[in-house]
Amino acid sequence: MLETVMQAVINGLLIGGIYALVSIGVTLIFGVVKIVNFAQGEFVMIGMYLSYYLSSQFNIDPVVSVLFSMPILFVVGVLIQHYLIRRVLGLNDLPQIFLTFALSLLIINLSLMFFTANYRTIHTWYSDEAFHFWGVYIPYAKLIAFVLAMILSGILWLFLKTTDLGKAMRAASQNRDVAQLMGINPNRVFAVALGIALALAGAAGSLLMSFYPAYPLVGQVFVLMAFVAVVLGTLGNVLGALVASLLMGIAESLGIQFIGADSGLIVVFILLLATLALKPSGLAGGWRK
Amino acid sequence: MHKLIPSYKIFIGLLLILMVLLPFVITSSFALEILVRILLFAFIGTSWNLLGGYAKQLSLGHVAFFGLGAYTSTLMEINYGISPWIGMLVGGLVGMSASLPIGWLCFRLKGPYFTISTIATANVLMLIFLKFRDFAWGAEGTTIPNLGHAPLMMQFETKTPYYFIVLGLLIVSLAITAWIERSRIGYYLIALGEDEDAAEASGVDVVKVKRNIYMLSAFLTALAGTFYTQYIYFIDPQTAFSFNVSIEAALVSIVGGIGTLWGPVIGTVLLETSTALLQSYLGNSIGGIQLTVYSLILMAVILIRPTGIVGYFKEIKAKV
Amino acid sequence: MTELSQNRRKIIKATGSAFFASGLSAIPLRGYAADPVNIGALYPVTGSMAQIGTGCVAAAKLAVNMINDAGGIKSLGGAKLNLIISDVQSDTTVTRTETDRLITSNKLSAIHGCYASALTLIACEVAERAKVPLITGSSSDMLNKGGRSYTFTPFARASQFAQTQLQMSRLATDKPKVAVIFENTAFGTATSNGVKELAASEGVEIVMFEPYSAGFTDAAPLLNKVKASGANTLFSLSYLNDLILIVRSIRQMGLNIAVNAGSGGFVMPDFYKNVGKLADGLQGVTHWNHDISPESQKCNEEFKKITGEFLFEYGGGLIAQTYMLADALERCASRDPQKVREALSTLDVSSGYAAMAPGGRVKFGPDGKNIYGRPVGVQWQNGDLASIYPKDFAKASVLKS
Repeated sequence: MLETVMQAVINGLLIGGIYALVSIGVTLIFGVVKIVNFAQGEFVMIGMYLSYYLSSQFNIDPVVSVLFSMPILFVVGVLIQHYLIRRVLGLNDLPQIFLTFALSLLIINLSLMFFTANYRTIHTWYSDEAFHFWGVYIPYAKLIAFVLAMILSGILWLFLKTTDLGKAMRAASQNRDVAQLMGINPNRVFAVALGIALALAGAAGSLLMSFYPAYPLVGQVFVLMAFVAVVLGTLGNVLGALVASLLMGIAESLGIQFIGADSGLIVVFILLLATLALKPSGLAGGWRK
Repeated sequence: MHKLIPSYKIFIGLLLILMVLLPFVITSSFALEILVRILLFAFIGTSWNLLGGYAKQLSLGHVAFFGLGAYTSTLMEINYGISPWIGMLVGGLVGMSASLPIGWLCFRLKGPYFTISTIATANVLMLIFLKFRDFAWGAEGTTIPNLGHAPLMMQFETKTPYYFIVLGLLIVSLAITAWIERSRIGYYLIALGEDEDAAEASGVDVVKVKRNIYMLSAFLTALAGTFYTQYIYFIDPQTAFSFNVSIEAALVSIVGGIGTLWGPVIGTVLLETSTALLQSYLGNSIGGIQLTVYSLILMAVILIRPTGIVGYFKEIKAKV
Repeated sequence: MTELSQNRRKIIKATGSAFFASGLSAIPLRGYAADPVNIGALYPVTGSMAQIGTGCVAAAKLAVNMINDAGGIKSLGGAKLNLIISDVQSDTTVTRTETDRLITSNKLSAIHGCYASALTLIACEVAERAKVPLITGSSSDMLNKGGRSYTFTPFARASQFAQTQLQMSRLATDKPKVAVIFENTAFGTATSNGVKELAASEGVEIVMFEPYSAGFTDAAPLLNKVKASGANTLFSLSYLNDLILIVRSIRQMGLNIAVNAGSGGFVMPDFYKNVGKLADGLQGVTHWNHDISPESQKCNEEFKKITGEFLFEYGGGLIAQTYMLADALERCASRDPQKVREALSTLDVSSGYAAMAPGGRVKFGPDGKNIYGRPVGVQWQNGDLASIYPKDFAKASVLKS
């Protein structure tokens, strides 16, 4: 029994790491640019296909391919901010939400056209192997993904706390008008935010590729969890998103184990709704509405 | 605000005559089907518009009421033999009641927070209906028993009666919207849509207004759920609580012009027509091409004219 | 509102209506100059089931080509079959619209589709009211209920699958303790229900019975539960993406468990492409396999030439269905869908391509069910599916893993 619980927690933690990479991107964009990026999952998908391509054509390990997918998606993020997002800033929520929603639809269907609906997997020497100890097991691939996810999150956190650009981003997210008065160029800050967020999504995709199949709709599966984590962890709060993601992974896993195999989603939604009912500003609280 | 100037009345009259004659003029059954779809989503869009367009509470979970309406009437019909006409109204009431707890929960947040929570509640409803098969057929859903021609049970053998039902629903929702626009409630709605805090400060009971408009919007949307189920002869949780319905409700309003009377109608005509054409010409060539084109159109509209089509015309009128 | 904008609105609305009405009439009917026989095919070419839908369309085209090359429908003067395909986008609403469009825009003699039971249910409601016969391999028992007379199901039903699955569990172990996990929409629920009802009478113990949300992010929690239940056999009624994860996770866990994954995406070549050697030894149940008869093997070869992969369950089944339609057309010598329906209801074949079903015989009962319909148990062996159960169908021996 103890083994089962321990395993459930481990499972939840490991997948939570991936949720974290996706949700941090969403929360960063929301905090800084104040829009909800409904297409975030699709960039994870692009990261996956990038890694698949690199692996099948050039034999590059998916984990190594993070070095490629992150910069590429960073540039994509900057371009999207410049050509698309910028044009709907300052308008109300509706066009902003629907722009990213349309983008999501577009990317999914372009993928369907070019990649077809077939599932793609990569098998590396460690893909299907695991550590076994004390009656529990940890798959290598998921462990590597988790560790890297934590490292990337840590790097981002340091960036936000210590560098000028990072501080500018935090300033812009807290009070855009004041930040602008202090000479911070919002468009530049937004572009970096989008770039970082998409780079993280790309990293998530590459890491996922070592143990998850790629197909055009795969982003939708992860983005739902990411959104809930974002609200749970307080919109705009990077650390909150990280903690919420891990908690959600564990809650989902325990829910499946002890409540019902199809209750993972329900548990997560109940968590979300309970948060909204009791502490709408999320775990990190005190977020100015 | 629309003043009932004579030319406007004439226009409405002509339009009404056109719409009533249309099904007798059009011979293609498929074209009629498209018209029914247009009217249906124009109706859902107009209902959504009350909350999302005027009051600017962007709900993407309206399908929750759609599904509740659908299941209510179907349960009543199949389990107790009660006519869907009655079931539709009861479904409306169920939707309306559901909007109270859902609203209480979701209105605690603003902007995108609100949106995400509405999505979540609709999703939870779908999960519940998927799980409880003893209560409502679970995941497999059910078909509506084939009664042939049974007007009292909202079943017909041709499409024309369905057309008139949904046309009636649309007219009702448009009339309600027009009335609200000209009334004090409409004034409050627009005020709180523009700036909620300022509205509150100037004495508008924001909480009450939001709650009431949500109830109305939910009631109407639930009616659509019943109609739809009767029309496609089938219900299951994924159809009844499909996210696509929520999306389309908001989308047609945005493209056509949020917070305007005719916006949702125009948006629906545009989007549904292009979808139908795309499906006919490109439907089975390459997987994904149709939706790719659709999403490009969407993005173009949003980028070029975010206030929607009616908004565009209003701007032109202002310049003239 | 000024008159100008009022008129504009009116024009937009009228234009919209006229636009597509004319657009539709401008669509040319594909086909030959000589009167072909129109067969409608409804499959999910896009959306979540796109993969299988694309394969189905390829099989449908192959079937029509095979029949046409052999001379078409002789009783109609060698009329060729004209396949009219429509994409139902893996969506119930679209299925409704598309079925209607297909029927009203073309003079169809029959339809086949749609792979997923939920979609087929809607299509057959529309077809029933339009009085066009619909033939399908979809397994839901609900297709045979409701008193329909235009729906024909030549292959095994979900309830029969369940029974075969239970019986096969005794191939791997004498005392099967089965954990049943199934995706919580129509497909999984229908099949798993049959398993639950028949387990006791087949002498199989069920130690876990749980629906799960399809399209999960991680199979590990689910399998953790399976392990905790002490099961030695797993029935996983799932779509392909989940199965890939489940199989890989089982390997990661080092879990020693026999697996029978029913049908669906599991019995497609794509499964093997994605999990490789992990597939070998896994059992499944299908309503058709490419080694059940010489005709099936022939179709398999042809299909391989076109797509490079073996002919999967649903695809092979629908080739047989096309031949059944051809048989009906031959006998009634008419393009009228109502006459075709009658000919189908009196169908009785036991040889040739139309009889390509496990058991080799097709004859429909009053509810559209093939009274000889039976499933065939299969197993992955060296990257291909071999029929292993029941004994009289078996083309290969059971691999013990």
